[in-house]
Amino acid sequence: MSTEALTLTDVTVDLGRQRILDGIRLDVAPGSFTCLLGPSGCGKTTLLRAIAGFTPLRGGEIRLGSRTLTHLPPEKRETAMVFQSYALWPHMSVAENLGYPLKLRGVARAERARKVAKTLERLELAGFEERAVTELSGGQRQRIALGRALIIDPPLLLLDEPLSNLDAAIRRSLRSELRRLQKSLGITTIMVTHDQEEALQMADQIVLMRSGKMVQVAAPQALYEQPADLGAARFLGVDNTVTRHAQDPVVASQAVTFGFRTRDARINEPVRPAALTRKGRVIECVYTGDGYHVSIDTVDAELFATSATSVAPGTFAVLQVPESALIPFGPDDRHLPPLDRHEDIA
Amino acid sequence: MTTSFSHAPSLPIPGRRLPRISLGLLLVLPALTAITLLYALPLIRSLVTAFRDGSGAWTTEHVVRAFSLYGRDMLFSLGVVSASLALIAAMSIAIAGYLTLGATPWAVRALRWLYRWPLFIPFVVTGQLARSFLATNGMMNNVLVETGLMASSSAQSFLDWRGLVLTFAWKQIPFVTLLLAGAMAAVEQSHIEAARNAGAGRLRCLFQIVLPQAAPTLWVGLILSLVAMLSVLSVPMMLISGNPTMMTSMMAHRITYYGDYGIANALGLFSYALTAVTAWFYLRLTLRREATR
Ligand SMILES: Nc1ncnc2c1ncn2[C@@H]1O[C@H](COP(=O)(O)OP(=O)(O)OP(=O)(O)O)[C@@H](O)[C@H]1O
Ligand SMILES: [Mg+2]
Repeated sequence: MSTEALTLTDVTVDLGRQRILDGIRLDVAPGSFTCLLGPSGCGKTTLLRAIAGFTPLRGGEIRLGSRTLTHLPPEKRETAMVFQSYALWPHMSVAENLGYPLKLRGVARAERARKVAKTLERLELAGFEERAVTELSGGQRQRIALGRALIIDPPLLLLDEPLSNLDAAIRRSLRSELRRLQKSLGITTIMVTHDQEEALQMADQIVLMRSGKMVQVAAPQALYEQPADLGAARFLGVDNTVTRHAQDPVVASQAVTFGFRTRDARINEPVRPAALTRKGRVIECVYTGDGYHVSIDTVDAELFATSATSVAPGTFAVLQVPESALIPFGPDDRHLPPLDRHEDIA
Repeated sequence: MTTSFSHAPSLPIPGRRLPRISLGLLLVLPALTAITLLYALPLIRSLVTAFRDGSGAWTTEHVVRAFSLYGRDMLFSLGVVSASLALIAAMSIAIAGYLTLGATPWAVRALRWLYRWPLFIPFVVTGQLARSFLATNGMMNNVLVETGLMASSSAQSFLDWRGLVLTFAWKQIPFVTLLLAGAMAAVEQSHIEAARNAGAGRLRCLFQIVLPQAAPTLWVGLILSLVAMLSVLSVPMMLISGNPTMMTSMMAHRITYYGDYGIANALGLFSYALTAVTAWFYLRLTLRREATR
C-alpha cells in the first residue's frame, strides 16, 4: 500500500469563459481524510475532477507524492474516484465491474477472482459475484463502487458525495463504516460533501469553499468554533447574528457583530452574568423533539433560540447566550482571532 | 414496421363488453387492412408463387432451378453483403467512437458535419458516382497515376465485387454511424470517466465500455443496411456487367426477359431467409439482454 500526500498549488480552472476555481492551494497529508465542503455550485466537484484529470487546468500544479499529475491523462493518474451516480457499468456483472481495473493491469484471471471475492467479503457482499449491477440496492451499489475504486490499492481516493443518494439511516451507518475502512487502509482520501454534519464527523481536515475560492482550511472543531467569516459561519449553522451593544460581554475589542447558534441561545431562563441578552416578541414556537424552536422579533433582527417549555406567540421573552458561545466578527465580517480575545480579557 | 395496439381496459359488465370490442376493432381496422393488403398479401403471394408451376400445382422446381442456375450469384451476394457489413461496422464504430471520445474538439466538430453527406444521396446517384470514380480510367486511378503513386499500366477497374462493397459501404456508413453515434452519446459520461479513472485508455473505453452498451443499436443499423443492400437494384446494375452479380439483378433479369415470376420469387425467398435469420439473431440478442436486466 502506497499512501501519498497530495499538493495543490494555485489550481485554477476555467470552463467556458467562466472562472470556476481560483487559486486553490492545499496540502493533504498522507493517509488523512479531507472533506471539500461548500454550497451548491461552489466548485467542489470541479476540483475533484481536476485532481482526477477530467477537467484541464488553466494554471497551477497538482502533485501526488513525488509525481506531477498536472499534464497526465486520467488513466495514468492512478487516482480512484467514486462517482456520485456510482457509474457501475450495466453490461458487466458485479465481479466484472470489480475486476475490470485489475484486468486493465494485466492481473491473471484466477488472481482477479480471488481479489474480487476478498473485496466482496470486506464489503459484506460475499457471493454477489454473478449479480447484475442493476439488481443491487442503492447502498449495495455504493459499496461496489467503493470496492471497485479500492481494489487496485490506489494512492488517492476521491469521493464525490458518495452518500448523498442514500437515505438517512444507511447514510449514518455507512459514514462510520467508510471512515473505519479508510483508516484501516490508511489511504489518502478527499471527499466532496455539502452536508456539514457529514464533514464534521468524518474529516481530519475540512476545506470550506465558496464560489471557486477556498475560504478556510481547518480541523472540524476549529472550523466549527471559529469560522473564518460571517458567510462561513452561516454555512456552518450559525443562524443568528446581532450587532454588538455597549452592555454586551466583551469578547473581542473590535467585535462589531456576534454570531451564535440557535441551540446555544436559551429563552426565559434566569439571566447569568456575562451573557448576551436580547428582548423581543415571540413570533413562532415549534416543537422539534428535544425542545422548542422559538423565533423572536427583536429591534435589530429576527433571532432563533431553544426552549425547554412551550412559549406562547405574541408574548415578550428574554433570549440569552453565554459568552463562550458567542463568535465575534470584525467590521469586515471576518472572524476575530482568539489572540485578540486574550488581549482583551487580560 | 411494427405496430402496437393498445386495448382500452374493458369493463367486466357483459352488456358493455360487446360495443367496446367492436369500437376497438373499428379503430384498428384501417391500419390492419392497409397492412394486410399492402404487406402481408403480396408477401404471401410471392412466397406461394415460388412454389407453384404454370398450371398452379405445387412444386419445388423453381427453388431447385434457382439454386442450380444462380447458386454462384447467391454466394456472391452473401459475400458482398458480408464484406460490406464488416466494412460498415468497422467504419461506423471508428467514426461514432471518435465523435464520442475524441479529444480534439475542432476535429470532432468537422467530422460531425462531414460524415452525414452521403445520407442525402440516393442509391442511383451513388452508383453513378462510384462508376465514374472506380472505373479503369475513373477519377481514383487518374489521381493515383497523376500523383505518381501508380503506373498507368497497372490501372485496373474496381467495377466488380470490390466496387460493390465500397459503394454499399459509402452509402450505408453514414446511416449506421448516425444511429450508433446517437446510442453512444446516450451512454452516461460517468461510465466512460469511471473506466478512464480505472486506467482504461480511449480505445479500451470504446470497445469495452461504450460499444457493448451501444451494440443493440449497431445490430439494428446493420440489419437495416443488410435489407437495403439486398433490395437495391440500381447499384449492381450500374457497377457489374456479367456474372456473378447480386440477386436483385438476377431477379430483375428473370422477370424482364423471361417473365418468370416463379424463379424470381424463389430467389426472393433466399433474401427473406437471410434477413429472417439476422432478425432472429437480433431478437434473441435483445431478449437475452432484457432477461438479464
Ligand atoms: N461543463 C461546464 N461548463 C461551464 N460551467 C460549468 C460546467 N460544469 C460546471 N460548471 C459550473 O461550475 C460551477 C461549479 O460546479 P461544480 O459542479 O463543481 O459545483 P459543486 O460545488 O460540485 O456543486 P454541487 O454541490 O451542486 O454538486 C457551477 O457554477 C457550474 O455552473
Ligand atoms: Mg457536485
